[in-house]
Amino acid sequence: MKTLLLSTFLFFPAIATAAPTQAELTEMLVTIDERQRNSGDYKALAYIEQKERGKEMTAFETVIYRRDATDKMMILFLRPKSEAGKGYLRLDKNLFIFDPSVGKWERRTERERIGGTDSRRADFDQSRLSEQYTPAYKGESTLGKFAVHHLALTAKEGVDVAFPVVELWIDQKTGNVLKAQDRALSGRLMRTVYYPKWRKIFSESKGAEVYFPKAIHIFDEVEKENQTQVVLRKVDLNPLAENMFTKAWLESQSR
Amino acid sequence: MLGVIALRNLRQGGKRTYLLGIALALVTGLLVTLMSLSNGINDSLVRAATTLAAGHINIAGFYKSTPKESAPIVTEMAPIKAIAEKNTPGLTRIIDRHRGWAKAISETGSMFAGLYGIDVAEETALFESLQVASESDYQDDGRADVRGDPRRLSEPNSVVLFAAQARRLGVTLGDRITLRTETLRGMSNTVDVEIVAVMQNLGMMSSWNLLLPKQTILDLYGLDPNSTGAIMLYLDDIEQSPVVMETLRTAFDEAGYTVMDHDPRPFFSKFEVVSGQDWTGQQLDLTTWDDEVSFMSWILTAIDSVSFLLVLVLAVIIAIGIMNAMWIAVRERTREVGTLRAIGMSRGRVLAMFMLEATVLGFIATTVGATLSVILVLSLEAAAIEIPVNAIRAILMSDTLHFVVSPTQIATAVIGFTLFAALAAVWPAVRAARLPPITAIQRTE
Repeated sequence: MKTLLLSTFLFFPAIATAAPTQAELTEMLVTIDERQRNSGDYKALAYIEQKERGKEMTAFETVIYRRDATDKMMILFLRPKSEAGKGYLRLDKNLFIFDPSVGKWERRTERERIGGTDSRRADFDQSRLSEQYTPAYKGESTLGKFAVHHLALTAKEGVDVAFPVVELWIDQKTGNVLKAQDRALSGRLMRTVYYPKWRKIFSESKGAEVYFPKAIHIFDEVEKENQTQVVLRKVDLNPLAENMFTKAWLESQSR
Repeated sequence: MLGVIALRNLRQGGKRTYLLGIALALVTGLLVTLMSLSNGINDSLVRAATTLAAGHINIAGFYKSTPKESAPIVTEMAPIKAIAEKNTPGLTRIIDRHRGWAKAISETGSMFAGLYGIDVAEETALFESLQVASESDYQDDGRADVRGDPRRLSEPNSVVLFAAQARRLGVTLGDRITLRTETLRGMSNTVDVEIVAVMQNLGMMSSWNLLLPKQTILDLYGLDPNSTGAIMLYLDDIEQSPVVMETLRTAFDEAGYTVMDHDPRPFFSKFEVVSGQDWTGQQLDLTTWDDEVSFMSWILTAIDSVSFLLVLVLAVIIAIGIMNAMWIAVRERTREVGTLRAIGMSRGRVLAMFMLEATVLGFIATTVGATLSVILVLSLEAAAIEIPVNAIRAILMSDTLHFVVSPTQIATAVIGFTLFAALAAVWPAVRAARLPPITAIQRTE
């Protein structure tokens, strides 16, 4: 029934003219999460490019590994050569970083900026919007040629997130997130994130399609000239080796 | 009598004596100058550290709500402060400051900086130590007059920067900068603060510290008003810091607080260790001022090591010179030695005569060298010569050449080099004393 309500709301906006109820808004987030969720393993090549005021542009080639069933995640840096072998490992609620140049592991906050860019661990992880935020409807609007639902999300009590307030612009036609704006506790706009294209791929383990953004454009709204582009390629949902997602495995990649 | 002979012989030595004397004076002068510079750096370090970053003793610590989440704060500050006041002998002042770390962002630049949340009413000593910079100190076409008032830190959302930071951020008095950080629970937060004063630099440490009102830090991190970053204690004798720290450790232990093992590193180096420990609640961490700036002690070690090596090499060269000069003196004066021995002078007195000669030379030369060096150092200190290169400013921890003369060190240098000169003459003097009188007289005939 919920799905029917949401489908009606998302795909037939002319019919659903009234503002969505709280249940429908929550269901909207659940759908976004569910579409990106993969019950099995996930691997993708990610190119991360960072432009920063007064600095040379930096670019990283990384591989993202996820095992969503057990909430594990790994980001392995392949290029540039100076960063090769470096990696992040998320186990339970802990995020560790390994630096092969010193052979040391360090514990980092889950909200860590990846490679010092404006991208964060959550940008590469599975979506948990419905678990973390309470939605409120701000109205319908347009984003370029797209008709969108504009939502304001507030972090739930006791949940640790990088941004306590997030605004979302959701494509009325497809239900995909097209734009997000992250705000600080002070209310200050911190980042604007665009998801211009979404792709989907069939997952054997899930028995359904898994959605992923083809590219993510992140604009720093405090340091206006800073921006990060993330491009995801070669998404692979086949099972990964059992012994991955360990410190030993990540360390072995730099030997 | 021997002294008179020694002086006469030195006079007769002519150029050789003068050259050796000048060399000894130069090395002593160099050593005194380098030691004064090292003292100056140490003095700058102590001043910067105890003004900006630390008390003579610091009571800080970590609070862990879960075994894996640690925050560098002291909760329930009041009872801890009371115990400290009661158990600190020689306490002259007690304050507390909030600590933080944020990215400071202006229209044209950004930098990471340590934040210190202060209470203007408590910080009279801080404002006595710091001087307001003129705009021309941090902007190429800035005004020369001094404006800005650091006491306006009593106003909410104000900030005091140092000249190097203002230059880097391209800001001036009245401009606003954004501070971006994360709360203890990892949420992004920002605050816009107005620059109410730009202070003159205080060495390397002032390049990464900002001063803010306490409330701004509390708001930025979502902290309880009863918490603080560190309680700082100032003593009438800074040298007593380690002893008093141990007294306080015992006092806190007895009061039922958990005190971390002494780790002589600044608080920000301890996150990794604390995060890896399996405990929750509050643990106190007591440090002395030099623990909090231990990451900069390499500068002093490096300068002292270079000074030592330089002086050692020069001293070896001079020792060879003195030995050579004495050999020549012994050879030239073999007849004299033979005669003195023939008329009854003992070997011991011959030995003493040559030794005394080197000792007198050493004493006069080192005293002259040390005196000239002290005059030079005091003149340079009075001239307050500005250091033009930023890297050297950072290493010397001062914007101007700063020297501190230590009478004890000067006395040690003079006595040390005098003894050194005497020791260098031992072997030639022993050879002279061993000459049989008849051989000595025959050799010269």
